[in-house]
Amino acid sequence: MTRLKNLSRKMLPWIFLAPLIVMIILFWVTPVGITIFLSFTNVTYKNFVKFVHGIEGAFNYTLENFNKLLGGDPYIREIAMITLLYVGSVLSINAFYSLALSIAIVYFIRNEYLSTLMRVIWLLPRITPAVVYGFLWIWLIAPDSGPLYQLFAAMGIAPQNWLLERPYSQFLMIVVNGYVGASFGMIIYTSAIKSIPEDLIRAAKVDGASDFQIAKSIILPLLKWPMLFVISWQTLSLIASYEQILILWGSYGATRAAGTTVFAIYAWFKAFEMGEYAYGATVSLLLVAIGVVLIFLYFKIFGFHKLMQPSKIEV
Amino acid sequence: MGKKYIDVKKIKRRILLEKITKVLVVLFVAVIPSIPIWLMYLGLIAQAFSSKVTVGIIPSGFTLKNWRFLWSTIQMGLKKYPNIWPITMNSLYLALGTALLVTFVAGLAGYALSRMEFRGRTKMMEFILALHAFPSIVLLIALFVLLNKLGLYGKGFITLTGVMITKAALEAPMGAWIMKGFFDSIPWDIEWAALVDGCNRLTAWRKVILPLVLPGFAAVAVFAFLAGWAEFIMAFTFIREDRWWPLSVMIYHVIGEYKFIDWGFLAALSLFYALPTIIFFIFSQKFLLRIYVGGVKG
Amino acid sequence: MVSVKLNKVSKYFGKVKAVDEVTLYIKDGEFVTLLGPSGCGKTTTLLMIAGIYKPTRGRIYFDDIDVTDIPPKDRNVGMVFQSYALYPHMTVYNNIAFPLKLKKLPKNEIDRKVREVARLLKIDHLLDRKPSQLSGGQQQRVALARALVKEPDVLLLDEPLSNLDALLRVYMRAELKRLQKTLGITAIYVTHDQIEALSMSDRIVVMNEGRIQQIGTPDEIYSKPANTFVASFIGTPPMNLIPCRVTSGKALECPGFKYVFEDEIAEKILKEHNEIYLGIRPEDVLITSKEDSDTEAVILVVEPIGKDLVVTLQLGDEQTIKFLTPSSTKMNPGDKVYLKFRRDRIHLFDKETGRRMEYIIKVGEKE
Repeated sequence: MTRLKNLSRKMLPWIFLAPLIVMIILFWVTPVGITIFLSFTNVTYKNFVKFVHGIEGAFNYTLENFNKLLGGDPYIREIAMITLLYVGSVLSINAFYSLALSIAIVYFIRNEYLSTLMRVIWLLPRITPAVVYGFLWIWLIAPDSGPLYQLFAAMGIAPQNWLLERPYSQFLMIVVNGYVGASFGMIIYTSAIKSIPEDLIRAAKVDGASDFQIAKSIILPLLKWPMLFVISWQTLSLIASYEQILILWGSYGATRAAGTTVFAIYAWFKAFEMGEYAYGATVSLLLVAIGVVLIFLYFKIFGFHKLMQPSKIEV
Repeated sequence: MGKKYIDVKKIKRRILLEKITKVLVVLFVAVIPSIPIWLMYLGLIAQAFSSKVTVGIIPSGFTLKNWRFLWSTIQMGLKKYPNIWPITMNSLYLALGTALLVTFVAGLAGYALSRMEFRGRTKMMEFILALHAFPSIVLLIALFVLLNKLGLYGKGFITLTGVMITKAALEAPMGAWIMKGFFDSIPWDIEWAALVDGCNRLTAWRKVILPLVLPGFAAVAVFAFLAGWAEFIMAFTFIREDRWWPLSVMIYHVIGEYKFIDWGFLAALSLFYALPTIIFFIFSQKFLLRIYVGGVKG
Repeated sequence: MVSVKLNKVSKYFGKVKAVDEVTLYIKDGEFVTLLGPSGCGKTTTLLMIAGIYKPTRGRIYFDDIDVTDIPPKDRNVGMVFQSYALYPHMTVYNNIAFPLKLKKLPKNEIDRKVREVARLLKIDHLLDRKPSQLSGGQQQRVALARALVKEPDVLLLDEPLSNLDALLRVYMRAELKRLQKTLGITAIYVTHDQIEALSMSDRIVVMNEGRIQQIGTPDEIYSKPANTFVASFIGTPPMNLIPCRVTSGKALECPGFKYVFEDEIAEKILKEHNEIYLGIRPEDVLITSKEDSDTEAVILVVEPIGKDLVVTLQLGDEQTIKFLTPSSTKMNPGDKVYLKFRRDRIHLFDKETGRRMEYIIKVGEKE
């Protein structure tokens, strides 16, 4: 009897966790397995149906995909450069620009209502459904009728087509994602800044520091960890993010012309536009691998407990 | 020391200069870059309700004709789009289903992680945090294969359900994470206090614990609902029949067709779709911010 | 060094009056303590003197310069915070050097001054550490060093000792006082601890609910409390306040006893009043014989506090009073004792206003 009770006590947590574990195995672990598996096959739209139905001889195992990824594919170099440009630029907006933004919003603006209003405004791109947000950008930069187009035209900068003319199109890609990303940094930083003890700021004032000197000598150094966190976390999410690029450009041809083909969307186009499922999976696998390595590194470097508290400052 | 001369005029000039610099910084860092955001949303509203719009945001003449999709079908040449209401129901189904599933799964898991001692608890939490950080979207191709293997592809309502379950599964680790945080923040002494005060276990739960955990559940539910409501890529990739599209996918297609032609109509449709999100956001802004900080996902 | 003058200074937070019309003059080189319970406005007052808060109304002067609109940076004040507020990312050296760096002093001068003040406060061996590696007492010294290194005209201290353990606190009290006198610096000290206030200050400002209750030397505050608030706030245990009614001329009817004054002044004072408090400090209550006594009482509780006993007595039906007696005295709960109040130590307060009565008369006499 007591043994049974003991056993059930031991089992209880796992019963509670069971639904989550089932979900994780089915929708996280299995897909990783499938991605790896697909990478070693030659599955395309031609043999996909047979492959799905498990018909024998439907596909072959091959290393061809990796050959392509490592040099056979002539566009890979360009895509790598674009991905680097994309991740690098959006990351600096997310990590550094949003820092300036946060200090301006919660430290320089003293009026509580104004400060909240600014925060809400900057949060809008994040909370708006992606399709609507994308649509609004298409409209903003629409030749002739778009208000932003007109604004820039008035300042003498008016490319014919923001969507398709490089470097404007790449600039657009960065800005569109930057607005969404800036709010991420803003959320973390503003809550970190607010958690700096008031006495510290007061002490600095008595010591003779101006607001700018306080921002530089007190607030910035204290935000070291939140900054590291934003950079690490955003790197992970940026290497894989392509929703806005898909919504704005929509086809491989368009992204190639615009120079906005990042790895993640290249995988998507390969699989779902060209039907090269195996090769698409291989490109994804590269991203999965980068993701896993980065996460492993973060845990090693920062440790679990630090990662749990993104906006904690060291006082 | 002692007798030193304070030049009040000079100090006041310096203060003024500092103030001006501060205003300029705020202007250039926070206000001017936010102009596109202002333009977007002002324009969205202006376009949706007026017959003519100058410079994109200045409305003139109130009209509801942009909202005609609410009572008639959208047609472009030979292409006929499905009626808006079943599509809205699809979105609602997707969002509510996701919310329900995530809340259920995350509630149970969060409780176990927060309140129960078991071997591998820390490892489990690390794993969930890692999943939470991992950009699940790169698994899309594999998920597509999986849905095909499970026979959930190309089957209308069943595919929509498949998308819903997948979405819930991808959101669940984050939900569990947030729920754990909520359970952690409840002072459990009060459960004992309630027991000492003469409640039995059930009434203690109902009267004392439930009111405390309810905000947590509500937050996770709202969050998952909004994620389901905004879901685009999976639905766009997996659902073939337009009858079973959610709003996001239909709007995406309609935008492709109508851009440059009828901004007003697109604005109205977008506003219709974004409305629940905006309403939720206004009512639970503080709530959602707390989640964003605790369970950030880029 | 400077004198500090507050002229009808008020600070509102929204509708809450944190500080209400505070007028105060602090002499050059004086050690003044703002004493009061938490939320009485003492820290707000200090922050206004520092320049961190701007008064809603009223002016602040350093000597005869109006500094009300001048930011902290230009006031040349040093401040020690309750939390010490050391910059966690800087070493002790850089913490102390911070105000000097902001003044853009040459490097060697900064170095000289930092080391000098570190030696003065006996923290010269800690200069390379981070604040988190220091004990509370060490942190406190660093905070003090940072406040002193810029040679401020006014030193502001906001409950600097409240986070230290009891022994260290007693030591630092003397140390602080010594330092302030050697440097001859004007010091304003905020505390809720009456022992600190009584032992360190030249003058004490007792505050409650944003208003000044009394300004005076420690002795004045203790022996002539201006009102019932000060009377009951100062002293451990605090003064007994026994509600009495003036019956005829110089007789009081108190719970369980009658008290009759013999002098003429009392009659003059009492004439105007109906209900009063008779105040007597626990150490001014004596045990005596039945014939000599003012009243009798029953012992309720006996608490030993080291060399003395605190005895709680029942007076009449509802009133309790406390008195102090050496530990050697035999005191048993339930016993009856006869008490005498030291006549020259009796305080009288008007029940309605709470004000000290003799005080009112004296002010009146001056005019």
